[in-house]
Amino acid sequence: MRIPFSRNVRLAVVAAATALSLTTLAACGSSSDSGGDSSSLEMWTFKQSHVGALRAAAAEFKKQTGISVKVEAYTPDDAYTTKVQSAAKTGDLPDVLEVHSDGEDRVFGAAGIAADISGDFKGDWAARIQQPVQQSGLVTEQRFKDSQPETAKDHGIENGARYSVPLTVGTFGIVYANKKMLAEAGITEPPADWQEFLDALKATTAKNPTTGGLALGLKVQATGLTWVLQPLAFSQLGQQGYEALFGQDQSADFGSPNGIKVLSLYDQLTPYWMPGAQSLTIDEADQAFAQGKAAFDVGGTFTLAFLKQNGMNPEDVITFALPSLKDGAVPDRALGPLALTGLSVTATSEQPDNAKKWMEFLSTPKVAAKFAKDASDVPATELGADSATVLGPALSAMVESFKGTPQNTYDPNRGNEFRAPGYEQDDAGAILADLSPLKQQSVEQTAKKLRELNASFWAAAQ
Amino acid sequence: MAPGAVTEAPAAGETSRRRPRSYEALTGYLFVGPAVVLFCVMGLYTVGYGFALSFATWNGFTPNWKWVGLDNYADLLWRSPVYAPRVRNAALNTLWVMISAPALTVAVSFPLAVLLNRVRRFQSVLRSVYFLPYVTSGVAVFFAWQYILQPDGAINALLGSVGLGSLQQPQGWLGNPSTALPTMIVVTVWGLVPVAMLLYLTGLQSIDRSVLEAAELDGAGWWRTNASVIWPLVRPITAVVTLLNLRESLQGFQTFLVMTNGGPGDHTNVLGLEAYRLAFLKQLAPTLGLASALGWILFAAALVLALINLRALRSRT
Repeated sequence: MRIPFSRNVRLAVVAAATALSLTTLAACGSSSDSGGDSSSLEMWTFKQSHVGALRAAAAEFKKQTGISVKVEAYTPDDAYTTKVQSAAKTGDLPDVLEVHSDGEDRVFGAAGIAADISGDFKGDWAARIQQPVQQSGLVTEQRFKDSQPETAKDHGIENGARYSVPLTVGTFGIVYANKKMLAEAGITEPPADWQEFLDALKATTAKNPTTGGLALGLKVQATGLTWVLQPLAFSQLGQQGYEALFGQDQSADFGSPNGIKVLSLYDQLTPYWMPGAQSLTIDEADQAFAQGKAAFDVGGTFTLAFLKQNGMNPEDVITFALPSLKDGAVPDRALGPLALTGLSVTATSEQPDNAKKWMEFLSTPKVAAKFAKDASDVPATELGADSATVLGPALSAMVESFKGTPQNTYDPNRGNEFRAPGYEQDDAGAILADLSPLKQQSVEQTAKKLRELNASFWAAAQ
Repeated sequence: MAPGAVTEAPAAGETSRRRPRSYEALTGYLFVGPAVVLFCVMGLYTVGYGFALSFATWNGFTPNWKWVGLDNYADLLWRSPVYAPRVRNAALNTLWVMISAPALTVAVSFPLAVLLNRVRRFQSVLRSVYFLPYVTSGVAVFFAWQYILQPDGAINALLGSVGLGSLQQPQGWLGNPSTALPTMIVVTVWGLVPVAMLLYLTGLQSIDRSVLEAAELDGAGWWRTNASVIWPLVRPITAVVTLLNLRESLQGFQTFLVMTNGGPGDHTNVLGLEAYRLAFLKQLAPTLGLASALGWILFAAALVLALINLRALRSRT
């Protein structure tokens, strides 16, 4: 049936349709100006727990300078990466980005997304940052050398450039324990070594078979490997022995007696994982712990903020570094701090000076201390003698675990120095999951598979 | 009437008819034009871009691609000791899904459609109820499934309450490597059944009553009529359902991404998910080209399946 539209009506409709579609196309092609006026900045973060603290700091910054900062969060991490990727393509990047330190920042630098701010990060600003992480964000000789192969993620970075400044520091392998559940199982002190940790797990699971176990987001495949096995291996074998596990020498790799020893230790956790830990993301595992579904939770310094967000009182938690082995090569192993997140100025920012002013403002001790309190996270700024008061007992206990000598400190920053180029920790994590908690493979089978996987990365690199 | 007038009159009429026709055609082209332009820009461009990318390495950020020819395809299929074994494992899991999901979907949706077709009262209500999984499918529903399948979820609770505690999964239905993939297949089928059932229902309602009456007169019972008369008559629909579900099983991965992320371990990794991982979860490694190549391999496999199905349809109908 024909609908009797008049010629004019039809023409109008066609014109409108054409105009609308052209508008759409034009919108696809154009890039909007994200900069706004000269006294407003835009910042993106992937940490929801930082948003409140950053906005509070932004309010103070506006009072002092008249420059407003709009803070937006995009989560989870991969969504954030995609957002930055597409914004870079369409010219919609903000002025400041919070980035994963020592990796993502250099990739952004190589891609021309992050600007080089080496000329500005000096003097008081640089001196305020904790000494162990001052070089985070900087392209050192070694980092430049590592970026030379064309397959390197950060191929194209410039020697001596700085693509980010540290905002927060922390480490992985921090254990959170539910005080009440521990007390019910007769435990009042944090375990001093690995054996005591296993005994504590045995006691809590005996008391509460379904809720007394250990939570860890094993759905994210590398967590078991990087947060538990690696610090454990360092404690058992020492730095050299630990790093050799990933090397090409079969007398010292995962298939060697050393590797078998480490995997056997890791396997000791098998009876104590909370039910279904293998199906939980990191956030879900932390939530489960906050809801009382597990007595222990392995995370990082950053986990406290998330637990707090999920209604857990930091007073109800005992925190300690993953215990070392009493009879291991490094019985008093410390967990080295690393810069977890940093701040980058985008290369397209129309107000780079204001952006740097904002970043420097965030590093001042007073602002950093308030940020620490608001975000329950450890700032990169050296807080000095007031540190314990500012951070509170739970965060302070974690910061204590940073204190060690170069010989006894497990440094999660190291990796490129001893692993095959292109090494993928997720692939190794999936193999490890078949050992524990899945019980699909024996220690020996797992050792063989990890050896084969390492060999494949070394072969691919050649 | 002058002969000239006789000949002129129809000519004038034709012109006046032709004018609206050409005008209508122009209007039509103008209406379709924007969509064609959009398709060219958004469709052809992206397809071409993706195809070109499958011959390069890139991490999505660097200004330039590095051309590697067919290396990405070779690495995925056999050459790389890192990627080829993962692709093989994912292909095996995908194969299980491709065999089980379409077969189960047909096995559930056809009987369901037959039963629904016989129901005289509340048919539309029941049809809506059975169609619900399709309209509600999405990330939220997959999260809901996750909760149901957890160690302390509804399925385990139900099994416990009806005295089937021995069937409970203490690690959850997605936490046990033996039950994770079958469970994912069941969830996939749950999402596929509604459309298949509707297609069957449409087919059943278009069957000529006289054919069924003839079968009845010949003494065929309910079972025989369904097995020997209705089932062959709806075979083209079965072919369509199978093809659609094969494609979904081959390329779909969002359920797996949300519910298991390929885990536990790597026990539910499928090819679509592996392509997604290579594209977005490799911590900015230059593997977008590999992801694109895997996407094109999946496309080629889907094309082959479609051709086989087309052939099967032709020979049977």
